[in-house]
Amino acid sequence: MFDFKLTTAAAQQQSQPQQEAQPDAASEQDTRIYDLIIIGGGPAGLTAAIYAGRARVETLLLTGSLPGGQPTNTDIVENYPGFPEGISGAELGRYFQEQAGRFGARVVVDSATETDFSTSPFTIHTHTAAYQARTVIVASGAEARRLGVPGETKFFGRGVSACATCDGFFYQDKKIVVIGGGDSAVTEAIFLTRFAREVVIIHRRDELRATKIHQEQAFENPKINVLWDSVVEEILGDQTVNSVRVRNVKTDETSIVETDGVFLYVGMRPKTEMFAGQLGLDEHGYIISDHRQRTNVPGVFVAGDVQDPLYRQLVVAAGTGAIAAMEAEKFLGEYPHSQIDKETSVVCD
Amino acid sequence: MALLNEEIKEQVKQELADLAGPVQMVMFTQEFECQYCSETRQLVEELAELSDQLAAKVYDFISDKEKAEELGIDKIPAIAVIGAEDYGVRYYGIPSGYEFSSLLHAIKMVAAGKPELSDDTLEVLSGLDEKVHFQVFVTPTCPYCPQAVVLAHQMAVASPMVRADMVEAQEFPHLSIKYQVMGVPRTVINETVHIEGAAPEPMVLAKLQEALA
Repeated sequence: MFDFKLTTAAAQQQSQPQQEAQPDAASEQDTRIYDLIIIGGGPAGLTAAIYAGRARVETLLLTGSLPGGQPTNTDIVENYPGFPEGISGAELGRYFQEQAGRFGARVVVDSATETDFSTSPFTIHTHTAAYQARTVIVASGAEARRLGVPGETKFFGRGVSACATCDGFFYQDKKIVVIGGGDSAVTEAIFLTRFAREVVIIHRRDELRATKIHQEQAFENPKINVLWDSVVEEILGDQTVNSVRVRNVKTDETSIVETDGVFLYVGMRPKTEMFAGQLGLDEHGYIISDHRQRTNVPGVFVAGDVQDPLYRQLVVAAGTGAIAAMEAEKFLGEYPHSQIDKETSVVCD
Repeated sequence: MALLNEEIKEQVKQELADLAGPVQMVMFTQEFECQYCSETRQLVEELAELSDQLAAKVYDFISDKEKAEELGIDKIPAIAVIGAEDYGVRYYGIPSGYEFSSLLHAIKMVAAGKPELSDDTLEVLSGLDEKVHFQVFVTPTCPYCPQAVVLAHQMAVASPMVRADMVEAQEFPHLSIKYQVMGVPRTVINETVHIEGAAPEPMVLAKLQEALA
């Protein structure tokens, strides 16, 4: 019944090359100019790090807030080739990171907070340090979208959650609403019936988007009901959540639905706020790139879900990570270091 | 039956191959073992087999009351992870699931005796003149939780004034109710200040200062 996960969190210290191994390295100013900084430690970023390391490109990878990326949050990955029985997402992420470390990438558990792509070498600020690099691969990924309604922020962790595996336990014999209609919403609603006495899926349309097999499982589950054509306009409560205000989009009628918890599965959004005004974004915030994973800024490449509104698959993310790293290597070969380090305008006009 | 399978054992051996110094996992259980007490004991005993630098010491919470008081242990199962000194790194409840990784991280960190924190954070921590108590509530199925635990443990290693507990919410439901835990990770600092989610280092530092203000 016990399961022991070795995730990337444990592998952190070991993956730093020997010469950096002083344990307080994070507190020291890192003044070198890296060949490549990879923003994001999911499948795209880690694959890029593997390729860059093998090309002997001096690489720093900033993992972001979930080392290993979205798969870390996935129980079993069954569609990544090479693992016929499936593999736990956490384990796969750990293998990715081990492999990246083996080829020399320096992996730092920290998140980029601000970037400056206006001059080369580029500057990346994190919560605790600043780094410089001649090329950058943005692989910051996507995160669960928020609803943006009153009460959502106030009650986050007090009845509002976006992680059923984390928080399901706290809703034993309680009532939960799950907002959304896609695969995540439906599969997590099914998962939550292990704990809750009743789960109501609130969906804005009159049919679910989820894969048919998941829909069938949900409709067969006696604990699950669906509230169709409905949107949540406010999350209400005192110390914790006690209800949501729901509007029917067809009749415009509003009603109060009592609930102990609200789980949000209203899709993903790319993590690109810090790049606004620097990199070209589409109307949904995804970074625009060409088929060689190049952005509008020469020397800045992009990979993974942060540029992929369509597929969002682990294997696709890894693939774009490989392309981005090969393009970064090529770019470094075309622009000698001395030129990038001195003549900033040359690559950024 | 072993808790750790051969594959995991092999990986743990590699993780702990170059521990910077000796580490003791001081575990507290009792004669009639509590829920998960026997598994937690078994876990530290199995882990101790995987590195020469790592030892497990098991105490009885009732009959070894003095030792429990010395280490500030107030509930079981408990593990104090102790290196060259006792930095105040504690686990309450079994570190299974994702928390197994945070335990390995804690072992490596106390072995080295040096936290990986920014200068700003270290400066604030070195100036502490009051005690700080972190309680990080987790579930074993929460991938975001180890980050919050590791950060609190780093602060404990950085300052003798800080002690940091991982608390497995499912095993201590009365504490989950007391601290209104409905989502994890939830960090409680000195009983008064709460943090929802795995917050970045500067935010945790600001909350720590808020707790002392």
